[in-house]
Amino acid sequence: MLSFIARSIIQKTITLFFVSVVSFLIIHLAPGEPSQVDPLNPKFTPEMLERFRQEFHLNEPLYAQYIHFYKDLFTGRIVSWKDNRSVLAKIWERFLNSLPLFVVGTLLTWTLSFPVGIRSAIYRGGLYDRSVTFLAYLLISIPGFFFAYILIILVVTTLHVPVIGMETFGLDTSSWGCMLMDRVWHLLIPSILGATGGIAVLSRYVRSQMLEVEGQDYVRTAKAKGLPPDVVHYKHALRNALLPFVTMFGLILPGLIGGSVIIESIFSWPGMGRMAYEAILARDYPIILTVNFISAVLVLAGTFVSDLLYLVVDPRIRL
Amino acid sequence: MVTKRFLILMPMLVMVFLFQSYLWVPTYEEQTTGNPDRLYQYITPSLGDATSLNPIISSNSTSSQIESLVFEGLLDRDEELRFRGRVARSWDIFEEAYFYVNSGAPVPAAGFVDGPGIVQFIETAKKKADSLPPEVRETLRRIQKIVLIPPEERSVVKALKSPSGNQPVRKIRVHIQAPARIKMTLAEINQDLFTNLSRLLGEDYFTSFDPVPFVRADPSVDRQLLARWAGELLPVTEHNPVIVFHLRPDVRFHDGRILTAEDVRFTYQAVMDPANLSPRVSDYEPVKTVEVVDPLTLRIVYKRLYSPALATWGMGILPKHLLNREALRKEARMLGRDPDTFTMRQSRFDRHPVGCGPFQFDRWESDQFILLKRFNGYWEGPPNYHRYVMRIIPDLLTQEMEFYSGTLDSYQVQPHQVKRLEKDPRFQCFSGTSFGYTYIGYNLRRAPFDDVRVRRALGMAINVDHIISYVLYHQGERITGPFAVQTDYYDHRIPPLPYDPEGAVELLNQAGWKRNEDGWMEKDGKRLEFTLITNSGNDIRKAILAIAQDAWKQIGIDVRTDVLEWSVFIQERVNKLDFDALVLGWVMGIEPDLYQIWHSSQTHPHQLNFVGFQNLKADELIIKIRQEYDHAKQVAYCHELHRLIAQEQPCTFLYVGKWTAVLDRRIVIKDLEQNGLMLYKKITPTKTGDYTFHFNKWIKLAEMPQFSEE
Repeated sequence: MLSFIARSIIQKTITLFFVSVVSFLIIHLAPGEPSQVDPLNPKFTPEMLERFRQEFHLNEPLYAQYIHFYKDLFTGRIVSWKDNRSVLAKIWERFLNSLPLFVVGTLLTWTLSFPVGIRSAIYRGGLYDRSVTFLAYLLISIPGFFFAYILIILVVTTLHVPVIGMETFGLDTSSWGCMLMDRVWHLLIPSILGATGGIAVLSRYVRSQMLEVEGQDYVRTAKAKGLPPDVVHYKHALRNALLPFVTMFGLILPGLIGGSVIIESIFSWPGMGRMAYEAILARDYPIILTVNFISAVLVLAGTFVSDLLYLVVDPRIRL
Repeated sequence: MVTKRFLILMPMLVMVFLFQSYLWVPTYEEQTTGNPDRLYQYITPSLGDATSLNPIISSNSTSSQIESLVFEGLLDRDEELRFRGRVARSWDIFEEAYFYVNSGAPVPAAGFVDGPGIVQFIETAKKKADSLPPEVRETLRRIQKIVLIPPEERSVVKALKSPSGNQPVRKIRVHIQAPARIKMTLAEINQDLFTNLSRLLGEDYFTSFDPVPFVRADPSVDRQLLARWAGELLPVTEHNPVIVFHLRPDVRFHDGRILTAEDVRFTYQAVMDPANLSPRVSDYEPVKTVEVVDPLTLRIVYKRLYSPALATWGMGILPKHLLNREALRKEARMLGRDPDTFTMRQSRFDRHPVGCGPFQFDRWESDQFILLKRFNGYWEGPPNYHRYVMRIIPDLLTQEMEFYSGTLDSYQVQPHQVKRLEKDPRFQCFSGTSFGYTYIGYNLRRAPFDDVRVRRALGMAINVDHIISYVLYHQGERITGPFAVQTDYYDHRIPPLPYDPEGAVELLNQAGWKRNEDGWMEKDGKRLEFTLITNSGNDIRKAILAIAQDAWKQIGIDVRTDVLEWSVFIQERVNKLDFDALVLGWVMGIEPDLYQIWHSSQTHPHQLNFVGFQNLKADELIIKIRQEYDHAKQVAYCHELHRLIAQEQPCTFLYVGKWTAVLDRRIVIKDLEQNGLMLYKKITPTKTGDYTFHFNKWIKLAEMPQFSEE
């Protein structure tokens, strides 16, 4: 067990190093320069462009830039080129904004998928199963931005309430409850949108897992010995069907930092995804690379956690 | 069964909790009725976030929009685009001109004359000016004072870089024994001063002046280099325009400090400080000295004639007491940073600006909003709105939805929506012409674009009116030259190229291109073919690409098109001058300075005259426009240049876009009349279409106002 942990940490550190090199190279190979260096602005003289490049170390060889960057990152001194603010502070701020969206979205996905999928599996082939299947495919295939627009237009034109941003603008109320509920309301639609795809996919998984387990001999035995159907489904079958989902839980960790570019941009939600996207457009290398690095760490941590979880829940597995 | 109930109840509870929140959210109507304070807020959207709120550092539009409210410059432009004093109450512009006495050149009818003699000579000419040509008389009339500066000795240190660049820079002391110099003070700036004077003093009085004998240096210095230095150190003639600003005594910063001339000088120094990396350096590079005469008077001397100078003082003035070296050092120490490398760019001021504009900074949440409060101590009286909020909403459709749900007060309409929203009784609609045009530029270095007939033919083959009606939904107008349509620099008499495909074919025939049997234009066995490119991400330009390709195909030109990602487009194609033709746009300022985009010295790689327009007459006009301070004359030069460019067709000018903005109809102008009565007026745009000109007097009413017909 301990040796497994040690081994996997060493492996993951090496992977991380390569990820950092490759992502650094890719970003520097891509054409374009930081938006501060704007060659088409008549007010920019060549000397100034040169000064900007010097300021950002863009004239130095790549390996020197690489060292500069990671030195700054690990000492926490790294600042965004766009506004000179500390990258880590910015990411933390955005992370806190993305977090509620992520939590509510995940909550919706994981609480709704199971009852929906289980029922589909139990009444397999029935009207309910078919309509849920149809709906699931519809939701998987509809483009997120399109669905978002439809939903926004519907809500705004029929209910006449604001939905964009983290709170109603210009609403200065002293009531604590009102403020909280206003925020919850603004959270609702983007999280529903974020969750739809997840619900559609996850409920399919649940259904197929349940079907597989329901076909097993021991479930038939349980039914045959006259146990009530609920006990068969929810105690004998579900427990075993849950196994793969435990590992999936570890893999949602990277979603924490990724955020959703589309949903955050449409709802003007000041989250991680939007910041990363805008950083890419402005070639704000410190932000792009730091977000990249942190998400790489989270992916590796996620796989590590799911390995461990598997170990815990499935006694058959020994590492 | 507990598990089952749990699995069903859990999502139910979550959903119920989330959906009930709807009941707490105010609707459009409730926002104003339930919260009267909402009427005192103006909420406006922006697609992107600001970068920095320090006017000398930022260069994007969101930042400057906020800065224009938080900061105030010495002057701005009024409804007619004339300059109007803000922090400055008034200003005087005059000129100090210098020339070295050239004792080696004979003066007509006076022979070789020394310094006092020249002064005497000009004084006499001034008295007996009646017999002189009118332009010389005019020049002499402007000369108010002539002073003789006696010969002087000084020395300067010049840095000499070794040619290979690997040896250290050598410092060389240069001794100058300057001859006597004449200083003239002119009431008005006159760029023809020396040309006209040379008609008095002799054609080559100025040109024959040789500065080399007056300069001595280490004998190891190359002769040619020394001659160049001599030319720089002893310029035979020099125009020094001077602007004297008189500041208002009652302008205060938001922290209560009075704004003085020291702050203005500090702002200038901050721009020029290399550590601040200000993108505005080129605006102030021609400044020679900024001198504080007294706390409310400022004297700015320029190195050379530079007529866009006055407009550059519209930049927001920084408070010296918050940003000077001591303040920055203190801040650096507080933050635990190295005080020696700490600059304005790292300062807290960047995100918490303090200016003297009508609104003061309150809060900025990145990618969410920027909040401003009104400044009660504003010298012109505080604005009606108590708050100004800029929300950052990166998506146009959601901006529109937020506007409908009442959480935005304005919305920039997209072309296809104009027809629909113009008629909506809930809104008031404004529209105007934008400062920017779209064009097809040709690489004039390459055949066949070196022939003006071909360029004309290409332009005539395209039906621009169709582009305007079908691609822009009529939200655009034709343009014929590089000046802003709203200004008088633009000559409306110049007709646009007609849409005439047959005429185009004829022009091509004249240029030697004939149709071959496949229907393609051909000359010397070579088909007329090229590639038209543009950047991706702009659907309108992409549509123009297709339209132009089709139109040119009709007249037998084989055009391929390519859409490139912006940075590839700029770095690989435009900057390296590797293109045949491209579709692109320029954003124009009000100032008619076209040097960077049209002067022939700017045609090298990485410069902005990438189409490669070279025309001696145009160069001369561009320089004259840059040096002319008299508006009427400047307009005349601009019209001439406009006509010339329209004739040469270095690019096909397509259109300038029109913008439309909608506001809630309940927003009106509230003004105090002289008799003390409150007067409500409809918002009317200025001549140039600027509806926000009277923004400080705007207010939102609770009810839809009814105005009597005027």
